[in-house]
Amino acid sequence: MTTLVVLWSRIRALFARERLDADFGAELDAHLDMLADEHVRRGLTPDAARRAARLALGGSMQLVEAHRDRRGLPIVETTVQDVRYAVRALRRHPVYTSVVVLTLAVGVGAATAMFTVVRAVLLRPLPYGQPAQLVEITETNPLKGWTHTVSAPANFLDWRARNDVFTDLAGYFGVDDRGASTLQRFVEIDGEPAPLSGVAVTGNLFDVLGVRPLLGRTFTWDETFDGSDRVLVLAYGTWQRLFGGDPNVIGRTIPLSGRTKTVVGVMPPGFFFPNATAQFWAPLGLSPADFANTRRAHYLAAIARLKPGVSLPQARDRMTRIASDLEREHPDTNTQMGVRIEPLRDIMAAHARASVLMLSAAVAVLFLIVCANVAGLQLGRASTRLREIAVRRALGAGRGRLVRQLLAEAVVLSIAGSTLGLAIAAAAPALILRAAPSALPLFATPTVDVPVLLFAAALAIAAPIVFGLAPAWSSSGVERLAERVDSGSRRTSRARDLLVALEVMLSVVLVVASTLLIRSLIRLQRVDPGFRPEHAVAFKVTLPSLRFPQGADRVRAFGDIERRLRELPGVEAVGASSTIVLRGYAWTGDATIEGRAADDYERELRHESVTPGYFAAAGIRLVAGRMLTEHDGATSNVMLVNESLAAAYFRGADPIGKRIMFGRPTADSPTIARAAADPWMTVVGVVADAKQDGMDKPVRPEVYVPYAANVQNPATFVVRSSADPDPMLAAARRIVRAAGRDFLVGDETTLDGVVSASLGGERFRTSLLTAFAGVAVFLAALGIYGVLAYFVSQRSRELGIRLALGAKPRELFAMVVRQGMRPVVAGGLVGLAAAVALTRLMASLLFGVSALDPVSYAATIGALALTALGSAALPARRATRVDPMTALREE
Amino acid sequence: MGDARSEILQGTLDMMVLQTLEAMGPLHGYGIARRIEQVSEDALQLNQGTIYASLVRLQQRRWITASWGTSDNNRRAKFYAITRAGRKQLAAETENWQRIAGVIGRLLRLSER
Repeated sequence: MTTLVVLWSRIRALFARERLDADFGAELDAHLDMLADEHVRRGLTPDAARRAARLALGGSMQLVEAHRDRRGLPIVETTVQDVRYAVRALRRHPVYTSVVVLTLAVGVGAATAMFTVVRAVLLRPLPYGQPAQLVEITETNPLKGWTHTVSAPANFLDWRARNDVFTDLAGYFGVDDRGASTLQRFVEIDGEPAPLSGVAVTGNLFDVLGVRPLLGRTFTWDETFDGSDRVLVLAYGTWQRLFGGDPNVIGRTIPLSGRTKTVVGVMPPGFFFPNATAQFWAPLGLSPADFANTRRAHYLAAIARLKPGVSLPQARDRMTRIASDLEREHPDTNTQMGVRIEPLRDIMAAHARASVLMLSAAVAVLFLIVCANVAGLQLGRASTRLREIAVRRALGAGRGRLVRQLLAEAVVLSIAGSTLGLAIAAAAPALILRAAPSALPLFATPTVDVPVLLFAAALAIAAPIVFGLAPAWSSSGVERLAERVDSGSRRTSRARDLLVALEVMLSVVLVVASTLLIRSLIRLQRVDPGFRPEHAVAFKVTLPSLRFPQGADRVRAFGDIERRLRELPGVEAVGASSTIVLRGYAWTGDATIEGRAADDYERELRHESVTPGYFAAAGIRLVAGRMLTEHDGATSNVMLVNESLAAAYFRGADPIGKRIMFGRPTADSPTIARAAADPWMTVVGVVADAKQDGMDKPVRPEVYVPYAANVQNPATFVVRSSADPDPMLAAARRIVRAAGRDFLVGDETTLDGVVSASLGGERFRTSLLTAFAGVAVFLAALGIYGVLAYFVSQRSRELGIRLALGAKPRELFAMVVRQGMRPVVAGGLVGLAAAVALTRLMASLLFGVSALDPVSYAATIGALALTALGSAALPARRATRVDPMTALREE
Repeated sequence: MGDARSEILQGTLDMMVLQTLEAMGPLHGYGIARRIEQVSEDALQLNQGTIYASLVRLQQRRWITASWGTSDNNRRAKFYAITRAGRKQLAAETENWQRIAGVIGRLLRLSER
């Protein structure tokens, strides 16, 4: 209690310094007067009395100091003094100060911005109960080339019934490989249809996730099924948008694509599953029989919650045994079907993980360079202040006090730099999202929150310790400064050389890494996608399934749209497809090839339904045979295959005229609804391989069937035209809207945009790393320049004498450059070795370029050598221009 | 060693200041210093300046208060007065001091024997 009272009074004293000082001064004066009076009474002269009084009382300065120390908090006071002094000193050197502050701002800004991404992608816990217990379950099958395929509903039910390692399993449907929702519905708002994307789920999904709704309830397991599925849970944003946040929304009905659904629940803000694009959740709506019997088609994504105390390996072990039981029981569908179980968090972040880790490492390296650079600048400044320091030392400043003074400057610089850096970082999330919307997982939105602020604060604290201690350490020479100012400066320049070597070394690593990524990206962009991305737009059209229940109706509706699009001015070709190039997802089916043993080939075949114009519109070449025509309809039993299929399945034999069948006579697969009595389809043509999963992925065997043979809704239209994309898409939207007020248009893009989006992750990491490397090289150049400029200014006298004695400017130039290149060469060599060791770690991010790619290394060496020489040339030229007379007078 | 004047322990000076204020009523720094010197009959080595450190300490603990006033010979001076908390503290300290002094005295007498 007393301690607090004392502390409080000390803190108060900090703010009343002047008044208290004056008060105490007056008190001391009074004391002196009274003491002097006493001495006068004893018979001294007034002067002698005053002197005696002073002696008796002690030095008044010391008394005042002691009084201050006792009264206030001396640490705070000297710190305030240090900081005030530092600010004043820094203000006198605006160029130095702004260079340091800007450098630090770049370092802290880049690191903090990166941290927002790391936190969003890898660290922030998922907004579910006990998220660490959640896993994703997928199926694997070496026969089909599956490494992680969504489950067959019947398998899912068996897992759920037989396992004893999970509290429960839940399934969902309607999300593509990149996590974007593919389940498009619409609602009417003020008579206008508005698209909503959602996810179809099993009734227990929210229970497995361990989340409670904000309002109402979530689903029950029984609501999963057809008949009791007319219920809906809304995302918080959807509730706000459609109902203005009306708290009485529960029980209200909305027509979702013409089907009346009752809102039973609203999820809290911040909840997402599987990502932020899901605006509603609806039950799967399968019939129990369908659910239990569909073992061939795979479309149900599965998650599960581990029972408390059950480890991942235990769960894998148990589930593998269940999978082999199923394999025995259902050899027809489950041969070699395995399971893969991974933590949900890892799966959700999987495609960005390697990039984010690589970039984090790069940003850490950049931060080190920033610190080294600022340390170098500080050293340079410290060495110009040797005299000042020596004087203060001579006047009795303790070593600790001097180091504290230097650190105070570092802290002031760091706070200014970090604040500016934080401002940069705060703008970063929006920039990142705009520049590379597809680079980050859809659930991960980088934001500046409390942990991010703490991170920036930690950097602000760490930075001055790293860069501020270097000069302090070097001023251990301060001890001897009074005698030998020179030894201190020599020591300082050795330290600066070391720092430059460090900067060069780290820059080499970054430049090699970024060159490798740039070359990968160039290779990727040069990959022939198998279609012509330029001058083509694409968009998805979803028909209301209630109004168009029959396949034939849908074909007619799509055909109408296609015909009207073709009449637009400038249009060269129009076509539609059930999927689109480079989208990373596909319909697949179990295929049989005539005349081949069933276990002789990969059975799972990709199939796409296309209209005849599709190939011309997308720019996919015909290689052999003929294209599809308007006469190839639902019953013509023809198909095209891609080159990969021809090569893999027919091994050089002419594929034209061969026959392929989807499923078997007893097929339970719903993916191909065949109207024809004869299931066999004849190959009439071979088309070029068009990329499906990514520019860096091999093309898989695929067949194209006439749209009418396997009608899919939605369809993606591709329009090739000489018109600009935006007016073209606007015109297309008008046409679709005219064809049906409730037709939904979505995913509007250009084929160039599709390619670009598929390279989004690559472009994102490449441009960021290149920016980091650029900053690193710039800082290294600044470091080299700083050291040499200092070298030249220190040696100007020597240089002047040499010139006076007849040295050629060329020789002096060479001397300075040589001086500058020493740390560069040393650092560069170590850097190359480090690059060889480190870039191997990023092999998974490279395409068509080896981590030891000689071109990248040569380019790095060349670029850095040029930069280093360039930054050495300026001070070297100054060396040749030293005026001997001025130089001699300077000392 | 032969010097008969003793250094003052920090806490003891505080106690003496409190006792002085308790006995004499409000007093300025000079008066307190003089009074302690007189009472101790110069047996204590007191640097008058150190009195002020003690006064700050006591003020911070709210055991004394200070206010400006006029001295006997018409000089403006800062007067210190003991507070109720100060009296309580003084009583506790005095009791404590006497107990310890008693113990130490007994101990010293014991070892003499």
